[in-house]
Amino acid sequence: MAFVQNLPFISIILSLFSGPLSSILSGKWAKRLNLAVITLIGAFSVLVLTFVLQTGEPFVYFMGHFPAPWGNEIRVGVLEAFMAVFFCVIMLLSMIGGSREREIEIEESKQNLYYIMVDLLLCSLLALIYTNDLFTAYVFVEINTISACGLIMIKQNGRTIEAATRYMIMSLLGSGMLLLGICFLYDLTGHLLMSNIKEQVQILAVTGQYHTPLFIALGLMAIGLAIKSALFPFHAWLPDAYGYSTVSSAAILSSLVSKGYIFLLVKIFYRVIGFNVVCDSKVINVLFVFGIIGMLMGSISAIKEKDIRRMIAFSSVAQIGYIYMGFGLGTEAAVVASVYHILSHAATKSLLFVAASGLTDASDGSGKFYDLTGAGYRNKIAGIAFTVGSLSMVGIPMFSGFISKLLFSQAAMGHDMKMLPTLIALAISTVLNAVYFMKTVITIYMPATGKVNMREGRVIPIKEQPVKAIALIFFIVLNILLGLSSEPVVNLIRIGLEMFD
Amino acid sequence: MKELLLVSILLPSLAGIILLASAFADVLKKKSKKQLKAQAKKSQTPLHLFVGAILAVSAAVILYTAWSGEKSLTLFTLVDNISFRLSLDLLGSFFVTIVCIGWLAAGFYSFVYMSHEGGEKSFFGWFLMVFGVLVGLCFSGNLVTMYFFFELMTLTSMPLVLHNGSREAIMAALKYLFYSMCGAYGALFGIFFLFRYCSSLDFAAGGHLNMTLVSGHEGILLAAVFAMILGFGVKAGMLPMHAWLPTAHPVAPSPASAVLSAVIAKFGVFAIIRTVFYVVGPEFLKGTWVQYAWMTLALLTVFMGSMLAYREKVFKKRLAYSTVSQVSYVLYGLSVLTADGFTGALFHTMAHFFIKTGLFLTAGVFIFKFGYTKVEELRGLGKKMPILMWSYTFLALALIGIPPTGGFISKWYLAAGSLNSGINFFSWFGPVVLLLSALLTAGYLLPITINGFFPGGESEAEVKEEDPHLLMLLPIVILTTMAVLIGLLPNVFVDLISRITNAVLW
Repeated sequence: MAFVQNLPFISIILSLFSGPLSSILSGKWAKRLNLAVITLIGAFSVLVLTFVLQTGEPFVYFMGHFPAPWGNEIRVGVLEAFMAVFFCVIMLLSMIGGSREREIEIEESKQNLYYIMVDLLLCSLLALIYTNDLFTAYVFVEINTISACGLIMIKQNGRTIEAATRYMIMSLLGSGMLLLGICFLYDLTGHLLMSNIKEQVQILAVTGQYHTPLFIALGLMAIGLAIKSALFPFHAWLPDAYGYSTVSSAAILSSLVSKGYIFLLVKIFYRVIGFNVVCDSKVINVLFVFGIIGMLMGSISAIKEKDIRRMIAFSSVAQIGYIYMGFGLGTEAAVVASVYHILSHAATKSLLFVAASGLTDASDGSGKFYDLTGAGYRNKIAGIAFTVGSLSMVGIPMFSGFISKLLFSQAAMGHDMKMLPTLIALAISTVLNAVYFMKTVITIYMPATGKVNMREGRVIPIKEQPVKAIALIFFIVLNILLGLSSEPVVNLIRIGLEMFD
Repeated sequence: MKELLLVSILLPSLAGIILLASAFADVLKKKSKKQLKAQAKKSQTPLHLFVGAILAVSAAVILYTAWSGEKSLTLFTLVDNISFRLSLDLLGSFFVTIVCIGWLAAGFYSFVYMSHEGGEKSFFGWFLMVFGVLVGLCFSGNLVTMYFFFELMTLTSMPLVLHNGSREAIMAALKYLFYSMCGAYGALFGIFFLFRYCSSLDFAAGGHLNMTLVSGHEGILLAAVFAMILGFGVKAGMLPMHAWLPTAHPVAPSPASAVLSAVIAKFGVFAIIRTVFYVVGPEFLKGTWVQYAWMTLALLTVFMGSMLAYREKVFKKRLAYSTVSQVSYVLYGLSVLTADGFTGALFHTMAHFFIKTGLFLTAGVFIFKFGYTKVEELRGLGKKMPILMWSYTFLALALIGIPPTGGFISKWYLAAGSLNSGINFFSWFGPVVLLLSALLTAGYLLPITINGFFPGGESEAEVKEEDPHLLMLLPIVILTTMAVLIGLLPNVFVDLISRITNAVLW
């Protein structure tokens, strides 16, 4: 066994233990530890990715040297390793981009608590990505939820406590349904390891035994994870949670936490149930319908919004809708598109949150559009970054958003029932996106002269916030890279999905 | 020398970006208005020299590139077999030449005009950016590349509408953006379908549908092509998506409205030509409901546009409605799918370009000199500005289509194309509508000439002749000359256009 194969496990353990270690450190050192851990794990994941690409096949890592079906397993393929790399990059950039806000908004004595939460969150995300055991996945889903609540609540005002409570209630409902689904599956198959369950499920599907319980289990897990990742109509908790928490929390929550659950759902589809069985079921139709409604309703709510952060949050609802619509199409190509959209949305949304915080900074902390007039001039780099993010969201070619739309529509092509609804929904949602994002871009580039009752903003030169500027520049580069050289990424996703079987 | 394609796009765009960055820096320094004005005055001459030099050099490079043979350049691949590809053919050269002339005329005119609007740096910055983008649009080699430049065209031309930053301008710009995005997505919708049913998305005269794939799916493909015609038609101001044009074009500073109306609106036409004649192929549309719907929409727009222009009291708005009507002449010529119609359409593209640029620049002179915007204010100007008023008269005559001006030749071909099309009802109904609209055109343009030379009523004392600044007058006079000249010597141009026609229709 090559040494590299130990790295996924080491990454999980490293982030798990850096959490408790942070509790005895000061805020400053906890931050340094956290950044170092993320960077290190990112580097590890790159090594793992190159290793898997070289060998060309996934590997299984036994925990405690018990063979299946008793022991716990980690399984690493191309897609898992790539996701780990990508999540680390986004998390690192979000943490860097929001570091100044954290220092201001979080009490001095609680600084280190924040980093405990982030470490645990990273740990749970990695475990969700790598684990081959359904129950382990459930355990880490719960850890993920708890630490996410902490991330929302740590900036203390009435709003965030309310938001965190709402988040917790909805999230626990989701985890409850997931757990029920797992129980059903355990009852039906007698296993908890993904590969073993799949063998049994395939037999059940062929013989037609236990048809109803099997689909109830699938439905419970799919809906449970959909609730947790804020699929319409379960999105009511989202705008408050993203809109009022500190900026790095909002960026991480929208681009990583919800995406972790979605990735788990992809794994359940491919590794636990088997994609052919999933496609035969009616569950994907439900996901398709709610995905499409979400695409439209999210955008409409975003148009009505007067606050930039909440607007971006509502736009997340729409984008999550895209991903579920892709699952709902039920073809290999559509899942590729959805996974690509996970990446593209993660890169864009965190960029938008960080850029928006730069713009509100330059407008005396107000996020209202009226006060944001001319903010693009006051904080140059944030203005440019926000424009890039908006163009990507609207789907202008050469940015990542366009490629996901292209992939979605190609996947929808030739689908007899779902082709037209998909394309029409894509069309309407693009126009709606254009309405609110372009309106915002125009607002931040209007000269602020002659406005009455406007809060006095101030100019923020790049020198004042060099770290955030660097994070934003990396985000912009990431977005344009995803848009320009999408081909290798898409190939990677294809190979990775093939390795799932 | 295929890299020249890239150079021609980048040269004006980069110059535009430099100007924008510098304008951006000025805003950041937060100087008082007085300081800004003083600074603008000081930097005016160098700015003009810079813009003038860039315009001249890029026009030279672009024209050399365009007329030195066909070439193509593939930059990189996006997904699967969709690449970012630039290539040049006769149609692209034809349009790029129009763009160059339009930008030179409006650019030099703006040196004087923009001194009273202010914000020159950002204006010229966006102006040059759009120039580069349009060149890219002409040079794009497949549908996706063209779509990219098409979207960029919307985004970079929007700031021209926004220029004075008033509430009216913002609302107009948003309207412009909204309609354009709707249209662009309608087009993208069609591109997705074509991607499936065509052997490739590259442009090739006559199109390349994969008939074996298409068979059985004709209905959906026709709908897709129709969506593309409607979508790209938004830019051309075709019904039912024309409402943005009369709002957005007049709000911009006059030289910008000139290029918006005379050049950018034509790129809706360009994109439709590329789709119908270079990807789908005219054979596929002949005799289908798409052709009839397209003809009906074009004719309705021709008539509606003229009617609305006739009733409009604000001069620039009247011209914008006139654009709605005239660009649909071009679309009608294309929709009959005959060689004569196509020739007429391209000829009218050229004629209308010369005329409408000239007319908007004339309207700009009225605003610049007297602040006149309404038609009724334009009385007795013939004595004050004889040269301007005479060239206006010639432009008006050309637009109506009185021989021997350019408008006559194009309308002749359009009517001939329609009569030869062999579609019973439309073959004679089309020319009737075109004639009717020509009458209305006379009705809304000529009264200004009449009132200009014969104001009637009070006999004023001797008026001093004060034709505008040479930089403003010269472009108008040159454009007028061209508008008349192409009618006097049509053969050169008709020969060129029929080379394009012969490639796509046989």
